[in-house]
Amino acid sequence: MVVKSEKMAGHNQSRRIHPAVAEKLTDPRWAWAAYQPDDQRPWNLALAGHLYRRAAFGASWYQLQQALSDGPQRTVDRLLRPRADTAAFNSVYDGYEASTAGSIDGLRAWWLRRIIQTPHPLLEKMTLFWHSHLAANSVKVKNPRLMLQHVQLLRNLALNSFRDMLQAISRDPAVLINLQVDTNRKALPNENLAKPLMEVFTLGSGHYTEKDIREAARAFTGWFVLKGQFRYIPREHDGNVKEILGQKGNFTGDDVIRIVLEQPATARMVVHKLYRWLICETEEPDMMLITPLVESFVKDYDILKLVETMLRSNLFFSPAAYRRRIKCPVEFALGIVKALEGMVSTTQLGQDLADLGQNLYHPPTVKGWTGGQHWINTTTLVGRHNLALALLRGSGPYADKLNPWAVAKKHGYSTFTAAMQFLLDLFLQGDLDPDVYDTVLKTVEAPANISSDDPEEILRSFAHMVVTLPEFHSA
Amino acid sequence: MYYTRRNFLRATLGASTLLSFNPVAPNFLIRSLMAAAPRSDDRDTVLVVVQLSGGNDGLNTVVPYGDDEYAKNRPTLCLPPKDLHKIDSLTGFHPRMGAFMRLYEEGHLSIVQGVGYPNSDRSHEGAMRIWHTADPDKPSRQTGWLGRTVDSIWDPNNTNAHAVFVGPITQPFGLNAENVIIPSIRSLHDLITNEMPGHLKRQSQWKRAAELPRDDRDNPLLHFLQRCASNVYANDRRIEAVTKTATNTAEYPPFQLAESLRMVAQLIRADIGIRIFFTELGGGGIGGFDNHANQLDNHCALLHQLSESVAAFIQDLKHEKLLDQVLLMTFSEFGRTLKENGRRGTGHGAAAPIFLAGGKLKSGLIGSHPNLTDLDNGALKFHIDFRRIYATILDRWLGFKSQIILDRQFEPLDILNV
Repeated sequence: MVVKSEKMAGHNQSRRIHPAVAEKLTDPRWAWAAYQPDDQRPWNLALAGHLYRRAAFGASWYQLQQALSDGPQRTVDRLLRPRADTAAFNSVYDGYEASTAGSIDGLRAWWLRRIIQTPHPLLEKMTLFWHSHLAANSVKVKNPRLMLQHVQLLRNLALNSFRDMLQAISRDPAVLINLQVDTNRKALPNENLAKPLMEVFTLGSGHYTEKDIREAARAFTGWFVLKGQFRYIPREHDGNVKEILGQKGNFTGDDVIRIVLEQPATARMVVHKLYRWLICETEEPDMMLITPLVESFVKDYDILKLVETMLRSNLFFSPAAYRRRIKCPVEFALGIVKALEGMVSTTQLGQDLADLGQNLYHPPTVKGWTGGQHWINTTTLVGRHNLALALLRGSGPYADKLNPWAVAKKHGYSTFTAAMQFLLDLFLQGDLDPDVYDTVLKTVEAPANISSDDPEEILRSFAHMVVTLPEFHSA
Repeated sequence: MYYTRRNFLRATLGASTLLSFNPVAPNFLIRSLMAAAPRSDDRDTVLVVVQLSGGNDGLNTVVPYGDDEYAKNRPTLCLPPKDLHKIDSLTGFHPRMGAFMRLYEEGHLSIVQGVGYPNSDRSHEGAMRIWHTADPDKPSRQTGWLGRTVDSIWDPNNTNAHAVFVGPITQPFGLNAENVIIPSIRSLHDLITNEMPGHLKRQSQWKRAAELPRDDRDNPLLHFLQRCASNVYANDRRIEAVTKTATNTAEYPPFQLAESLRMVAQLIRADIGIRIFFTELGGGGIGGFDNHANQLDNHCALLHQLSESVAAFIQDLKHEKLLDQVLLMTFSEFGRTLKENGRRGTGHGAAAPIFLAGGKLKSGLIGSHPNLTDLDNGALKFHIDFRRIYATILDRWLGFKSQIILDRQFEPLDILNV
């Protein structure tokens, strides 16, 4: 079966902002309403690919086809609440992790493997989001077991309540050690939790004063990490009155969390950051646009609901979001692995991704990974090019685990030309400008005898070309 | 051959696909090409940092042989004056540092003596952290001074990497940045795009596919990625050009540090926009310079590696007429105690000398040798704060604003001839 590129490709359909749509993009009511395909905005392969890049780590051909026939909202249903038993899957992987808990490289490898295998990729996508937002670095924590617990905590609450998340991480030994706040005595209040809590995790700068931090630090006195465990030592707690963000009382650390969660600035911070993670990083969202989400989030801090609103929205499926993010290294590499339905050595991959700037379990600062255009410079782009080559070449550290030709044949594209078009659809949903598309098809020589020669090696080279195009680096 | 920016562009970009399809090249590509095109024969200055891990014994490196206290305190580690390379009537280089003596005589090496900071930390981790963050007052500082430097000059219109770590160990914290990704490279292959063997014929089509103008004009990310891809292909040619030239046979001794510095020299020659190189001797962690027992032979070998490797690097650059663009700086987390410890070794100390090498030095000894009778807990006292050297390098050598990076203005030192 040969599929014509014109038929499959989303040529320009998803990228041009229809004039009728452009106007509505800034209207919050329209922007956050659930997307229903119509003639102006048809559901197509390009948008299915878009959804799987944002809500997962890329898609297999089967997943793309399923999405095409299910339509956007049913596909979002499945990504949010998969039918498979995610809990059972994760408990098996928790067991694997526990068995390698002595080694952070081992944990890194298991996490990547979990991302590839999971029936609930959105959960891992959000775990990665929190791993950057509530960052703890293994080099500072110096205890792989605590890092394991930390990331499991992030995963357990990743699509849950941000309130619970904040309460849990403020008692998380890994976070406290990372922030050098494992002792907090009454006589010497330690600001190392209060400051990043307000500046990075919740309010953002400009929404608190130095005095708020000092007072909050007093509220956290008595919180310790001893022998890798959180401990509250009542005699080290300062029980006197504090004044935090305009409220007065003999507050505890839990009160600080309650108070910062009452501030709309906290909800705004999370909505803003999630907007950048799921929707668009090229433009800051208009305050009016995100206000309905902020107002809703500050009431219940329900992460799943917030993510759901974003993923279902007209805005999400609009040109204002399409290819408006740069893939982080994990998304880049796993996009190749997921599309080609293989399993590669994630020990090696963890190291290679570290070289590209995303060393899991080692976010560079308490602010996590800045990402966006910062992921890309000439050396990291060369690194991505060479990592893609290593994944696709069929020998070397990643062995012969990914085979573009075999995948094309498996899905019924068993001639050289059909396989090339299939790979363009698989990786980029065929969505390239026509002259780029034509140029891409000329990048490799057809086999000398097109009917008898095995094009496996040529298609490896072709797939490598496709995943090094600028379009593939955008998410 | 003297490679100027102009020669290079002619050699490497001259036949580029960029120009061959010029009529359809989008404006931004033409603009970036213009920007790279001959502006002048000036090259950007480059900093090369060499970390000596473990705490180098400055007293047995630049030896105060003229002071009786030295021999008195070091019954077994004392180096005989007759074997030293004498700098003046007080100090001389370690016997195995003949290469540094030559550099010194040629005016390509300076010694800044007595470098440190107040209330010095005597633990490897704490002290190294301080040299990396350049912030002794904030042990929880999240970024390194060079990481902050690169963050401060980030510009999406310039997609080149501005700093790299060259070497086989984990990237030192000095390069930790909040935003920018600073790569670690082990070989030049890490900086060149590799292809599937046997399918090289259509490379020009490949690049064309990346560079063709896109219809999605509103998307700044695609343009940015295209610009970076073009830059990658141009850099490929530059690196390939330097690895193929005959000058690549410059002689380096068979040490890891020398290999790293050879790579650095090649990348400087390739002129691909890297302003800061960081490399290491001692193996990272609690490194090879940490000699609590039987120090003599081990220290001897390391100093020999250091001086021979750096001398080969300087020679290579000089031959290429690039030395005037390069400044190399060594540092270690601390010096060592004056008194040896009864196990033919020394304890963790404080102030120590650092070396500067390059073509634009006001050469010689900078600052006096610390007093051997006025000690702080057995170690030498500092009289030049290391952040003054950082500030001098940032402001006067690299042309960046040290105040932004170091949070305050440190008094510069008159050590550079610029």
